[in-house]
Order: sequence, then C-alpha cells, then structure tokens
Amino acid sequence: MRNGLALFFGVFAALVLSWAGLLLTAQRQIGRLSQFKDPADEILYPQPMPGLANQGRLVYQDLGCATCHTQQVRREGFGSDVARKWGQRGGYARDYLRDETVFLGSNRLGPDLRNAGNTELHPYADAGYFYQLLYAPASVTPGSLMPAHPFLFDVHPVAGRQPSAHALRLPSRFSPGPGLEVVPTARAQALVAYLQGLKDTYDYPVERSRNAPAAQPKEGGH
Amino acid sequence: MNFTDTNGRTEQMEIDASAKWPVLFIFTHALAWLIVGGALELAAAIQLHTPDFLADCAWFTHGRLAPAAQNALVYGWGFNAAFAFGLWLMARLSATTLRHGGWLFVAAKFWNIGVFLGVAGILAGYSTSFELLEMPRFVTFLLLAAYAIVGVWSVTTFSIRNTENVFASQWYLFGAAFWFPWLYAVAQVMLFRAPVRGVLQPVVHAWYVNGLYGLWFVPVALAAAYYLLPKILGKPIAHYYLAPLAFWWLAIATAFAGGSRLIGAPVPVWIPTLGTVANFMLVVPVVLIGLNLFGTLAGRYASLSGSMTLRFVFVSMLAFVLASVCNFAFALRGVAETVQFTLLYGLRDWLLFYACFSTAMFGAAYFILPRLTGHEWRSPALVRIHLGATVLGVGLLTGGLAWAGWQQGRLLHDPAVAFTDIARAMTPWLAFRTGGLALLLLGHAAFLINFVLIACPVFSPGTAPAQINPPPALEVLKA
Repeated sequence: MRNGLALFFGVFAALVLSWAGLLLTAQRQIGRLSQFKDPADEILYPQPMPGLANQGRLVYQDLGCATCHTQQVRREGFGSDVARKWGQRGGYARDYLRDETVFLGSNRLGPDLRNAGNTELHPYADAGYFYQLLYAPASVTPGSLMPAHPFLFDVHPVAGRQPSAHALRLPSRFSPGPGLEVVPTARAQALVAYLQGLKDTYDYPVERSRNAPAAQPKEGGH
Repeated sequence: MNFTDTNGRTEQMEIDASAKWPVLFIFTHALAWLIVGGALELAAAIQLHTPDFLADCAWFTHGRLAPAAQNALVYGWGFNAAFAFGLWLMARLSATTLRHGGWLFVAAKFWNIGVFLGVAGILAGYSTSFELLEMPRFVTFLLLAAYAIVGVWSVTTFSIRNTENVFASQWYLFGAAFWFPWLYAVAQVMLFRAPVRGVLQPVVHAWYVNGLYGLWFVPVALAAAYYLLPKILGKPIAHYYLAPLAFWWLAIATAFAGGSRLIGAPVPVWIPTLGTVANFMLVVPVVLIGLNLFGTLAGRYASLSGSMTLRFVFVSMLAFVLASVCNFAFALRGVAETVQFTLLYGLRDWLLFYACFSTAMFGAAYFILPRLTGHEWRSPALVRIHLGATVLGVGLLTGGLAWAGWQQGRLLHDPAVAFTDIARAMTPWLAFRTGGLALLLLGHAAFLINFVLIACPVFSPGTAPAQINPPPALEVLKA
C-alpha cells in the first residue's frame, strides 16, 4: 500500500460501514418504538417514573451503582435470572423506553436491579429496607460485600427535638449510638424512590409472542 | 531510501532530536497517570473485599472510585503513551522530522487538563455512568480539541513522508488516528448531545467500547510489534504479503464485533448475532497477524533473553492472541451465558488494554527513551523488577481471574446458591486480584524511577550520546 488517499478512504469506509450497519440500522428498526396502550385499562406502558424517582436516577448515576449492578433480565432458559427472582420474565426493548439513561451494566458483583422495587418478587423491599441496605448493608443481608453509603444519611441527637418520622429503625449493632438517630437525606430519599420504581411488571401482549423462542420443528416434518 | 547507511543514521538522529521534547513531555504525563490510576485502581480493588475501606466519603465510594481509576488509566496513561509512541514512530517511519513540536505541548497540556477534570468530575459525582464515557460532558470538547492537534500532527507527518513504501505500522497508526475521534464524537453525540432512546444507548455504547479497544489500543500495540520485532531481530516481517489483508480484515471485522457484548440483552437479536459472526471472522486476521509476528520470531526465541523490549513485546503478542481467543469464546452464546457479568468477562478488556497495549508501550519505551535522551537506562535491576512484576502480575491475574470468573459464572448460573454465598466465594479471589494489581504497581514504580533517572537533566552526567548498539540493517523488502 503506497497511496495515502486510498488508505484514508479504506479506513473511513471501515468505520462508516459499521456505523451504518449497526447503529443506523438499529435506530431505523427500534428508534421509533412507542409506549403500548393497554386495551383494557387504557394506560400507556411502560409508565414514566414519578418525579422524585427521576431525581433518584441521577443519584444512581452519580454514585456509579452501575459499576457493580446490571439492569437487564435475561430471558428464561438463558442464565438463571428469572429463577433468581431478578424478574418475572426476560426484558423487552420496550421496557427501557421509561429510562432516560439506560444502565444496562456489565458486571454482577452485586445482584441485578431491574426489578429491585418489584414487591411481587421481593415483598420485603419497602423504603425502610432500602434505607437500611444503603446505610448498613450487612444489617439486612449478612455477608454482603456492598459498601455502606453513610454519606447519604444525617446522624443527629434525638434529645431536645421531635424524632424524625423517617429515622431508620436499625438493629443496635448497626446504630451509631444511643440518643442518635439516622435520617435519610433528600438524595437518599430520591435514590430509594428510584429503586422502588424499578420494576417491569406489565407483560406486553405484543411482545410476548415476538420474544418467545421459535417452536422447534418436528423431526422429519416440513 | 536513497541514503547511504551513515546518512540514514544522521537522519534518524535528526528525527529523534525533533521528537525528543514533545515525546518526553507527553510520556511524563503518561507515567504520572499510570501511577495515579494504578493507586486509584488498587484502592478500588481493596474495597471489593473490604467494603468499609474509604466507604465514608462520597468521593471515594466504590462506584465512583473504580470508574475514576479506569478513566485515569485509559485516557491518562493509555492515550498519552499512545500519543508519545505514535508520534515518534510516525516520524521515524515517514523519515521526516516532527515539525512545529511546540503545538504538541499545547495539545498534551489540554488533553491532560481534560483528563484531570474528567477524573475529578467522576469523583465529585458528575459521572454519566456509561463505562469509559463516564467523564462529564464538559470535558468532551477539551479532549476532542486536544486530540485534534495530535491527530493532525500524526497525519501531516505521514503525508509529508520521504519514503516510497508505507510500512504496516503506519497503516495501523494512521487508522487509529482517524478511528478514535470518529468513535468518540459519534458516541458523544448519540449518547449525550442528541441521545438515542431506550436500548439503543447500550448498542451505541457497546460499539464505542469495542471500537476503543479494537480500533485504537490494539492497532497502536500492533504498530509497536510490527516495528520493533524486525528492527531488533534485524530481519523482515515473515509472510509480509499477508499483512495488508490482515489489516483490512481486522479493521472491518472489529468494527462490527461490538454487538457480541449484548448477547442476551433486550436488543433486537440480530445485533449480538452480527457481533458473533464478526468475531468468527476475526479468527482469520488474528491468525495472519500471528503468522507475521510469531513467524518473524520463529527460530530466534533466544534473542528474547537479549532484549527487554523484545520480552515486553512478546508478552503483548501473547496477550493479543489470548484476548482474541476470549473475544471469540465470549461471542458464543453458550459460553456467554455463563461468563457474562463475571470477573472473567472483565478480564478480556483488561487483557486488551493492559496485557496487550500497555506492555507493548513499555517495550517501546525501553527502545525509544535511550535513543531520545542519549543515555542508557541507569538501573538494570529496576528494569528487571519492572519486567518481572509485569510478567508475574499479568500471568497470575490472567490465570486467577479466569478461574475465579468461571467459578463465579457457574455459581450465578445455579439459582440454588444464594447471592451472598457467591460474594463469599469470590472474596479470596478479589483479595488475590488486589495482590496482583499491587505487584503491577510495584513494577510501574520501578519504571518511573528509571524514567526519572534517564529523562531528567539533573540526573544526567553530561550530554554525550551514550553507546547504543546500532540495530542490524534491515534486508530490503519487496512490497
């Protein structure tokens, strides 16, 4: 190869081909995917998250939760995501229309969080559970390797003031001391609202058939 | 070339003189980031098995520290090292001096300010949470503008070349010089300026990450191997006629291979399938490149003991093959099902970036820096420590994390095993990982000391050019 111009065009073409073949084609295929209106209750799914949860998404993003947590449920039969109760079904592309930023993630040192707020799967997962998990992970899941996030909480003395309604009910082993209460900050409240909002409970009739594996043809059949 | 041998040498010295200060300046930054990033990475690694470590401070929570470390290493060490090496090699191979080098100081300064602001931004909570694109949006322009100067210098140096033939290393450097800014700019636009919706974001992201490793770091590492092997061994690249085919095939197939990172993800299934096909196609260029590089080395393995550079390049070549095997295996659905999201899954990227690219840069540095400064390496013991730490660290981490990741994948696959039990089973391996990273950091520290001794004028006894054994003359190539 001696010709610099030919080299340039080749190099250019190699990348443009993949950009058009992969990104542009994908955009043309599902770029206009829209919410689905359930014929029975006339609600658009996936439903957008409430405002506080949307703020919590930014907290999730800035704390880098996606470093150790994925948000994708692989379909039944591919991995054990459904058996581990990380979701009732595999995820659909349409589920993610809800998310302004998609935190798919690539590392499962922590469990998948796509359905962290799904109380059908995790009946114990109320706000108090998440606060405790964030303040002292070992207090709800002994042996957990998750780091504590004490900076999301204020610790102040109870004496001389009305106790906070949001104060955490911690086992004495994890409490900062007698006469002190642990109160979630606004950031913690937003983050927990977001975690509680993480659920894909609605099963789209249009997606179910489309995402099911093709039926195996009978042996010898045509 | 039309020069006699002596004239050729003088010209090389002229080129080296023109490249000396920009390259040293950029490489100093690279090394500083290597140490800073390594320290951050070590701290983040400790947090994985000792969750209390630095947990009280929001700036150093694991979710911020780990990406900050990765960005410092990739954009701080990786890019600066690639800039320094790429500019020098482009000038050498184009047989022309590096002109108006002053602008390169400006570019390097802006690039490093950008990386610093980016890493600090991640720690301060302005992360975007897209792996390798975490740096806050405000540094994008700074990085692109700084990169533009370096890229333009590299390409102009190529276009005013005084040689007839264009060597393989130049194709790879030229390609990488164009691919990175396009990948980066497209990813920035499609993810942040005018974001695509829903799962298209992970598709863009997978395309970028795959491109960053496969079309930036790997080409620069290959440029080093293609240049240093024949130079040190004094023989041409074996089966050189295969090299153009390997280059184009590698470029096209790699560009399409990103989809395989999304196997099982909620994206249209043709995207991962296309990635799998592209990864299968990558077998051919990897074999061809293997024929080129290992074929050149064949029968001359004894030379490895004589040259530090060769040994580092050899590690890099092995890592390239191993990472390609990983890429190929992980593109198979059955394998991906188990290894996805485990330590083994992350090992592939680490192999590409550290074991393949970074060791190639170490090798290149041991070759270039004595020629630029005119001094020999002051402490052979420190060089040996660096090599030993690298070989041992890369070997241990690769073996250990591959085994641990496979176990983790199998445990994750079995829903009867509680998640905390998996965490417990992984704890010793995460501690092992910390040890491996500490070992690598030790090697980097040894390298830094040697670099300061050779590059800092204060420590240099006089300015007389040191004895460098002239490399044996190359046989004439018929390309």
